[in-house]
Amino acid sequence: MAPRQSTPRTALSCGEVRTSLLPARQALDIRSAAGLLALRADERVLLSERPGLYARSPATLTGVDCPLPSANGARVRAVGTVTAHAALTEGRVLQTSAHCSLPATGPDQRRPWGEYLVRPGVVEPLGKLPHEAVARGVLDGPRRGDLDVGLIADGLLTRLLRHPLLDQRPPFRSRPTRLRWAALPAAPGEGPSLERFTLAEDELRTVRLRVPEDTAAADLAALCNDLALHDWLLTNVVRMLDGIRLGAPSAEDPGAAVRALRPAVDHLLHLWMPGARVTRELAALWGPLEERPGFTRQWQAMVQRIRDQLTLHTVQAVHREAEPAP
Amino acid sequence: MLVFAASDKGGTGRSVTSANLAYQRALTGDHVAYVDFDFGSPTAAAVFDVPGAMRGVEERGLHSYLEGESAEPVRIDVWRQTEHPLLRSRPNQSGRLVLFPGDIGGGEFATGDEALERCVDLLLRLNTEFDVTFVDLSAGRSYAVDMVLAATAHPRMRNLPFRWLIFHRWTRQHVIAASGLVHAEHGIIGSGIERGHDEDALRAAIRFVRAAVPDPEAPLGPQGSTAQATWMQARDEALRRLAAEYRIGDSVVLGIVPLEPILQWHEQLITEDDVLSTQIANKETLDALEEIARRLTDDTHWGRL
Repeated sequence: MAPRQSTPRTALSCGEVRTSLLPARQALDIRSAAGLLALRADERVLLSERPGLYARSPATLTGVDCPLPSANGARVRAVGTVTAHAALTEGRVLQTSAHCSLPATGPDQRRPWGEYLVRPGVVEPLGKLPHEAVARGVLDGPRRGDLDVGLIADGLLTRLLRHPLLDQRPPFRSRPTRLRWAALPAAPGEGPSLERFTLAEDELRTVRLRVPEDTAAADLAALCNDLALHDWLLTNVVRMLDGIRLGAPSAEDPGAAVRALRPAVDHLLHLWMPGARVTRELAALWGPLEERPGFTRQWQAMVQRIRDQLTLHTVQAVHREAEPAP
Repeated sequence: MLVFAASDKGGTGRSVTSANLAYQRALTGDHVAYVDFDFGSPTAAAVFDVPGAMRGVEERGLHSYLEGESAEPVRIDVWRQTEHPLLRSRPNQSGRLVLFPGDIGGGEFATGDEALERCVDLLLRLNTEFDVTFVDLSAGRSYAVDMVLAATAHPRMRNLPFRWLIFHRWTRQHVIAASGLVHAEHGIIGSGIERGHDEDALRAAIRFVRAAVPDPEAPLGPQGSTAQATWMQARDEALRRLAAEYRIGDSVVLGIVPLEPILQWHEQLITEDDVLSTQIANKETLDALEEIARRLTDDTHWGRL
């Protein structure tokens, strides 16, 4: 059979991001970050220091040949490669993500492997792609044996966590999160839009997007990494504030609240920069999230609350010192 | 911190007591994981009253995870999925309580280095997320015991603190068996040393919990006689001497859980409501569980003697 020339238009892009605290006592500096993320000898780690320390690994490809998840039970086999990479923000927050794009139609029969390899990050259906049903299937969670990009992201995470650079002494307990996303084509002439952002289970978030056809999957992945990072920050700072007990119990152990909140100050509060690494078109999608539920509003309220708590404890400590010893 | 729950024999109350300790820690605000490595008969789900996983889960349990058949083990949020009416409303200020169930019909298995690496991956990940992780191990010198001894000696685990609780009943046979599990030639300490553990450090991290201990001072009810009470006190004294002789005497006991009738009938969590409102459980039992849970992280109860 003759090789096909053009890549057909994308009908669906999807991916999953795993976000967790790097299990190391000290945040990694830029050189160590490059060491951790050097997944391939032939390609360099992307490093940037503005607006914050950020390192991204080269992409790895995973070959897949399996049924696609779908909400209506249709079993569509698909073949291709899934792109995965890892990123480290401020040497502290580790993310692994995997994504792929799926064209509206593919060849009716499986082609030689080489034809799939020339299209990295593309997974082609055999025949027509029921893209709406597959998008729902992806977000609902694939069944065993279906294409599961989350597993690929998790495999990469497992690999990184075994790295000898990590001393496995996380500075505080934290909650890892998963963010699944699916992007469907927008109506002609429409810009990108965020249809839904849900907190499904405890640590699972799902994002459904509509984007113009020419939007690069890598840009979408960068947007979703950014959403995942900031959602993780909110989740974990909320958790820290939940953990402190106000009023009477803190009088017995005045240091408890400071101990509980200090990791936020040391490691997290300076990481909030929504949209910093997202293309201009897609950064607009932060708009609706800022309006409702208001990510940055919630973040600022929590930052203020942490600072107020710490101030109160300082005032109390000064008071105690000033009082004559019993 | 990791807490390994082991026992030489079945029926020592290991699972039910460690589940209660996990529950008590969560009540104090800790985020707690409960890992069911009792591969032969996973029962923790029954104690937490989680339907659908009573005898383990159909797929993606810990057994499948360790064997590499699934990437991540199933987790069950106890507060959310329990049928226990009191637990359903997550108690105020409590931490998370998450059960990692075994597989139905998992059984013991022997596998190599990859299972060990996966075990290390899991324990390290849990350590980043939970304040305390309880690991319930199959009775006896099981594969599960070997695996966690190897895992805790692994270089990647060097910074992860762990402690062992050995559960046994208060009878002659159980005292001797519990001592054997730890001190015999191929016991936990011996095997631990073979795998690279430091003997003193390992010894310092092992404590015993006497479970279902009858109170020799307590009246035995209408049938109880003075002769019985005298006999029980003598037995208790003899057992204390025996335990000391077998190196599991009072100095290495973290706590004693009294004989609790409702646990003889039904393996379950003991709540404050069971003691105060319905009064089906004894206050002494709840006090003992609270105290052992507290001592888990109180360094004055641990260390070399």
